[in-house]
Amino acid sequence: MNENIIEFRNVSIDYPLKKYTIRAVTDVSLGIKRGKITALVGESGSGKTTLSSSIIKCISEPGKIAAGEIVFFDNADGEEKETVVSGLKEKQLKEFRWKRVSMVFQAAQSALNPVMTVEEQFVETLLAHGEVRDKQKQRERCKDLLSYVKLDADRVLSSYPHELSGGMKQRVMIAFSLLLNPDLIILDEPTTALDVITQNYIFNLLKQINRETDISMILMTHDISVVAKFADYVGVMYGGRLVEYGTVNDIFRKHRHPYTEGLIKATPSIIGDIDKLSPIEGAPPDLMNLPKGCIFSPRCPYAQDICRGDEPPTVYSDDGSKGRCYFYEERKNGR
Amino acid sequence: MSKAKNFFILVGKTLREFFISFGKTCKKVFSNPKTIAGFVILALFVFIAIFGKLIFPYNADTDVANKYLNPSLEHPFGTDWLGRDVFRQMIAGTSSILEIAFFSAIFTVVIGTVLGIVSGFVGGWVDKIIMGITNIFLSIPSFPVYLLLAAIITIDTPISLAMVISIWSWAGLCRAIRVQVMSLKERDFIQICAVMRMSKAHVIFKELLPNVFSYIVINFVMAMRNAIMASVGIMLVGLAAYDPTNWGAIINAARTKGLINPQNVAILMYPLVAIVIFQSAMLMLANGLDETLNPRLKVM
Amino acid sequence: MTQSKQKFKSFVKKAGKAIARFFVKYKYFFAKIGVALITLALTIILLFFLLRLIPGDIVELYALKLQAQQGITFDRAYELASQLLNYDPNEDVFSAFFRYVGGLFRGQLGESYLETGVSANTLLKTRLPWTLFVSSVALFISFFLGVLIGGFVAQRRKGIGNKIASAYIAVSGSIPDYLMALLLVIVFAYKLNWFPSQNNYDAFNTTPGFNFPFIGSVLHHAFLPILSYTLVQTGNWILHMRGSCIGVLGEDYINAARARGLSDRTIRNKYMRKNALLPLVTMFGVTFGALFGGATLMESIFNYPGIGLEISNRIVTKDYMVVQGLIFFSAAMVIVVNLIVDLIYPLIDPRVKRG
Repeated sequence: MNENIIEFRNVSIDYPLKKYTIRAVTDVSLGIKRGKITALVGESGSGKTTLSSSIIKCISEPGKIAAGEIVFFDNADGEEKETVVSGLKEKQLKEFRWKRVSMVFQAAQSALNPVMTVEEQFVETLLAHGEVRDKQKQRERCKDLLSYVKLDADRVLSSYPHELSGGMKQRVMIAFSLLLNPDLIILDEPTTALDVITQNYIFNLLKQINRETDISMILMTHDISVVAKFADYVGVMYGGRLVEYGTVNDIFRKHRHPYTEGLIKATPSIIGDIDKLSPIEGAPPDLMNLPKGCIFSPRCPYAQDICRGDEPPTVYSDDGSKGRCYFYEERKNGR
Repeated sequence: MSKAKNFFILVGKTLREFFISFGKTCKKVFSNPKTIAGFVILALFVFIAIFGKLIFPYNADTDVANKYLNPSLEHPFGTDWLGRDVFRQMIAGTSSILEIAFFSAIFTVVIGTVLGIVSGFVGGWVDKIIMGITNIFLSIPSFPVYLLLAAIITIDTPISLAMVISIWSWAGLCRAIRVQVMSLKERDFIQICAVMRMSKAHVIFKELLPNVFSYIVINFVMAMRNAIMASVGIMLVGLAAYDPTNWGAIINAARTKGLINPQNVAILMYPLVAIVIFQSAMLMLANGLDETLNPRLKVM
Repeated sequence: MTQSKQKFKSFVKKAGKAIARFFVKYKYFFAKIGVALITLALTIILLFFLLRLIPGDIVELYALKLQAQQGITFDRAYELASQLLNYDPNEDVFSAFFRYVGGLFRGQLGESYLETGVSANTLLKTRLPWTLFVSSVALFISFFLGVLIGGFVAQRRKGIGNKIASAYIAVSGSIPDYLMALLLVIVFAYKLNWFPSQNNYDAFNTTPGFNFPFIGSVLHHAFLPILSYTLVQTGNWILHMRGSCIGVLGEDYINAARARGLSDRTIRNKYMRKNALLPLVTMFGVTFGALFGGATLMESIFNYPGIGLEISNRIVTKDYMVVQGLIFFSAAMVIVVNLIVDLIYPLIDPRVKRG
């Protein structure tokens, strides 16, 4: 049995605009482990959302997968089946979406149709996938899920989205993503615009779901501390590239890419001193005008001449972690 | 005394800054092909209006012997039922049309903007009263009122016609500006002005006006368009018969002479086509300006 | 005694609270109705004084007419005229105003000075059906077409359909509706002779009533007016529907619906159309309200006996009481229809609260 549920194989994603084309994701290869939570971290515009929404081919317009393929490993009936998502036909894609992979959107606040009640939208999705035709059972299922995320099911079902608070909508969306028992849930900043207490509650809930149901998750967030607490694996993205990947332990204790180091150093911790914070100098890369060589080199404190020549290849380590840096192997033991 | 002086200094400063930013904006604005096309056509009409009369002066004398002549070198558009040159009539009518469009747009925009800003900025009872008046002007159908006003005021100059038109067309703009001002008022940079105890004049002239300015420019163009529509309509029912060379008046005259006669239809087509060209130029200009000045609304 | 008094007191208190609650609950309705009533009142005042501004004494005009007709002296004619018109020259503006408002409350919009037995009411009865017939048919057709085409091209913004639609919007937006009407009359009535250029039905060969020749004649005559309205207005509706749809298509819930595996048809109908139509409902209401005033220019080009033509004819003949009545009626209809739209809008859009 393949331990990965999704594999990105050299995926590049383009946004063709009127005068030029922006490459939002460049040559990413990554396996998402079955039954685990994989976190993707990086600054805004680093391509996290674009990469993960490509799994269900829901990249925002006019984005397109320009190269590579995304493979989904189905393990439903005990026998293994490979599905190349990027090659799915429209009809198969419709069945694949939400049934196999569901998503909690970054803008969960506005991901519900404002002129339909929550129940109508749940039932509509059930019907679109030909599941649970019996009205009584439909309602049961919706109620179960909503109580699972600790909502007053009856009230929420008959409400319109604008009648719910931000935290409630977020939980509705999480319940919604569980509706068809998917194999993988993509969580795109599931707690933006929520207060810390609700945020913590939601992450604990997600972790619980992950443990109880064995649903794999991809978690995208800016919040490093959340990653440390809840994720099993971490991918660090910068300028559309996967610059480092490893277990959560590897990334936090033995990270080797200078960008990861900067990212962790820039995060405040409750115990640490605020003076010790050191932001990464410089600005995130301009995707239309990328620097030569390693795209992090202008901001990298360890940059050498070689870094400004050609772009570094991905270096694979024995323990399963990998990174895009000329000094990846070197930095393994001592920093 | 010094208050008034300060006020004028402020207005002067604002104007200077305005002209500096105006230069920058011009560069941006004229990168849009629609804007260029609309502006070039408008400039062409203005050119014809100013110099056309000098090159091709219009002679209103009748010459029945030469009536309904076909287009020729001497009479590019032929002659009408009284032997007058249609081409020269059209040229004379250009300035008439432009004057009406320009004055109406100025009146409309000034009334609409001033009332809209006052209503949105002051709020309270002032706002309620102005909105009440605006509601009436929006409810009463405009064209019958144009006709009524034409019966009250004798329309004999472009300015009086422009006044009649603009009296009943500022209300929509006023309402829109008020909404803009009210939403601007809630924004942080205006709120900060209140915290910093800046004068009301400062807030209005330096914060509010520049922010609604692009909106006003676009509406100026649209007001010109609407004014042409209304003025030609008024001419068409023969209520403002002060200028027989106005395009609307030419259409009306040809129409009343009888559309059975293809000669009259031919005469009527020239102003009709000219109006359509002018209107589409205004539409292009407004759309082009809208695309560059309101990037939020841009559609891929 | 005191007990019953107290009971009564508590009853009054309860009733008062209930009434207060009722008003608070339906605050939205009452606020809207109040604004509409104030606007209506101000409209009456404005129209009344506007007509007073018109130079020339109506009685004098009528007297001159009588003098010419009956060959009597001007003084005699003036006396006769003021008797016939029920007009008191010494009556001040305010009592005249209250007399007018009193008439409005009794449903009399305004008597004609020039023709006996003709009033704004009788004219509305005979003219309004024609105006409403032509303009509402055109409005419904153009709204339907515009919503259909606008929604279609919004989804295929790079297609040829969108280019054609854009060109059509530009052309139809540049030609005033009455000039479009003029063009259609020239082509279809004079050149091709397919449709009549004047009037609402053939008065010589048909008799009004429920018979086929009459209905056929009415439709034949209404074709060009309806066509010219529709041609011009459709572009406008396409423009608004397309803009609204594009706005909705950019919303997150559309992408989310796609991710849920919903079919394109469901997304188009339940998600895009339903949301995009909301702002257009208000516009449709406003446009419909404005129909009651008639389209003066259109009707005068087709010589179609609607309200608009009547207003412009009566302005020319200075029959001002009737004009006042007709304009007031059309303004009132705009206000009433807008009020209705405001009141039913919360039922369509759940986001607008009625509380």
